[in-house]
Amino acid sequence: MVALSAAEVRFIQGGIAHDLRSDGRGRYHFRPFSIQSGVIPQANGSGRCKLGATDVIASVKAELGRPPAGRPKHGSLVISVECSPTAAPEFEGRGGEDLSLELQRALERSLLGGPSGAGAAIDLSSLHLLEGKVCWVLYIDTLVLSSDGNLLDALSIAIKAALNNTGIPKVEVLASTSADEDPELDVDNEESSPLDISRVPITITLTKVGRHYIVDATAEEESQMTAAVSVAVNRKGIVSGLTKRGGIGLDPSILADMISVARHVSQTLIPSVDAEIAASESRAAGS
Amino acid sequence: MEFISPEGLRLDGRRPHEMRQLHAEVGVVAKADGSALFEMGNTKVIAAVYGPHEVQIHSQQLHDQALVRCEYSMAAFSTGERRRRGKSDRRAMELSLVIRQTLEAAILTHLMPRSQIDIFVQVLQADGGTRAACINAASMALADAGIPMRDLVVSCAAGYLNSTPLLDLNYIEDSGGGPDLTVGIFPKLDKVSLLQMDSKLSTDLFEKVLTLAMEGSKAIAEYMRQMLLENTQKLAFARGTLKR
Repeated sequence: MVALSAAEVRFIQGGIAHDLRSDGRGRYHFRPFSIQSGVIPQANGSGRCKLGATDVIASVKAELGRPPAGRPKHGSLVISVECSPTAAPEFEGRGGEDLSLELQRALERSLLGGPSGAGAAIDLSSLHLLEGKVCWVLYIDTLVLSSDGNLLDALSIAIKAALNNTGIPKVEVLASTSADEDPELDVDNEESSPLDISRVPITITLTKVGRHYIVDATAEEESQMTAAVSVAVNRKGIVSGLTKRGGIGLDPSILADMISVARHVSQTLIPSVDAEIAASESRAAGS
Repeated sequence: MEFISPEGLRLDGRRPHEMRQLHAEVGVVAKADGSALFEMGNTKVIAAVYGPHEVQIHSQQLHDQALVRCEYSMAAFSTGERRRRGKSDRRAMELSLVIRQTLEAAILTHLMPRSQIDIFVQVLQADGGTRAACINAASMALADAGIPMRDLVVSCAAGYLNSTPLLDLNYIEDSGGGPDLTVGIFPKLDKVSLLQMDSKLSTDLFEKVLTLAMEGSKAIAEYMRQMLLENTQKLAFARGTLKR
């Protein structure tokens, strides 16, 4: 929990009103972030994102599974979020479950592409192996290690880095004898192919404090929010998921305004995230 | 299964008395009072310490000493096979208890009556020896938090396979069915605070394996002390109290 005095609250609110926040940022500026790829060698792909004092890890494990019901030619994505008690003592025991679930649902909304899977972050038909029988299931497991606000955006950056780092093992389907039998598969873990991540969105959360809204709020700023809107935007500027959280109602006109600000911020943020991911990949390959 | 090749090398290329590569970092969780990352080969653990602070549940307050609490959790991606483990599974609860008891023995709890110290240990990757890695990480995190301690607590595992005592077992060796001994020591006081072993071993062999684990612990202690010293020097330079 963040405990703030009345003077601190006024300082934060006044700073936001004057477009000069406590750490010197403007309203639409992100904190500096760093990305580390391949931090979990046991996974097919992984990434760690540090955004200020917020620190999250995402890992991708590819397993063979059955295609989702009604979509025999698709693979599937499964997302989970865990909040480690290292991030805050309140997450001890079952304490982090509410927050984990809220973050998980928001990520599912922006990455899974609805019941038809049409707007999913990864082209689900590329995960398909044998119609109605076998497909790849990508388990995206994320862990919050340290929390200083804006967890959702940090998680989406870590997931993008992890997906970029992921290699899907090459699979050969050996001619199966009959339609009823389970097919035989030959998984070659030596050879793997990368995923197409051009559609993976980055979430940008706009937090409303007083009459203004800001991006990338710290824990102190989040404690003063009246409402927050998280917008998932991909490289082309297409919005693929929305979540409104917290507090008071929002005027529909403000909502439209917030979405356009999120898209505007994404135009500078996404290229810098992509550049950082590419840099960390070459670092990981070099070491 | 052959765990040692005719040339005397283990599955991962180590000699029987060789430890895996160690790596430690202090201050990895910005918001915690003390934190550390500890790696032994592929085993990777983060520990964070909060406190001493006010006791949260009043009935648990101890009037003459600090309350030490510990929670151990494993990330869903930490094991080779993806599996979701609850925080309340019995293995996790036992480990929380073991870590707490081992470290509580080192903390000067009587100096901080009516307060609480939380230790959180998070396993990022498990490849054998998690128990030892967790204790080492937590010990460094406590030191980073500036909590008064009698000594560092250092832990290391050893086992016995193919009639050879082996230091610091990895996951494959750990599941090899031989005895697995984890020891936790106070390196300066030269005392044992944790000792666990499963499976059976004759008394004279036990002594050999125990000595090996203790020697391993002392080598780790050396490394941990050096890392903590480097961190303190870095802080002192930053503050300007230490000149080059």
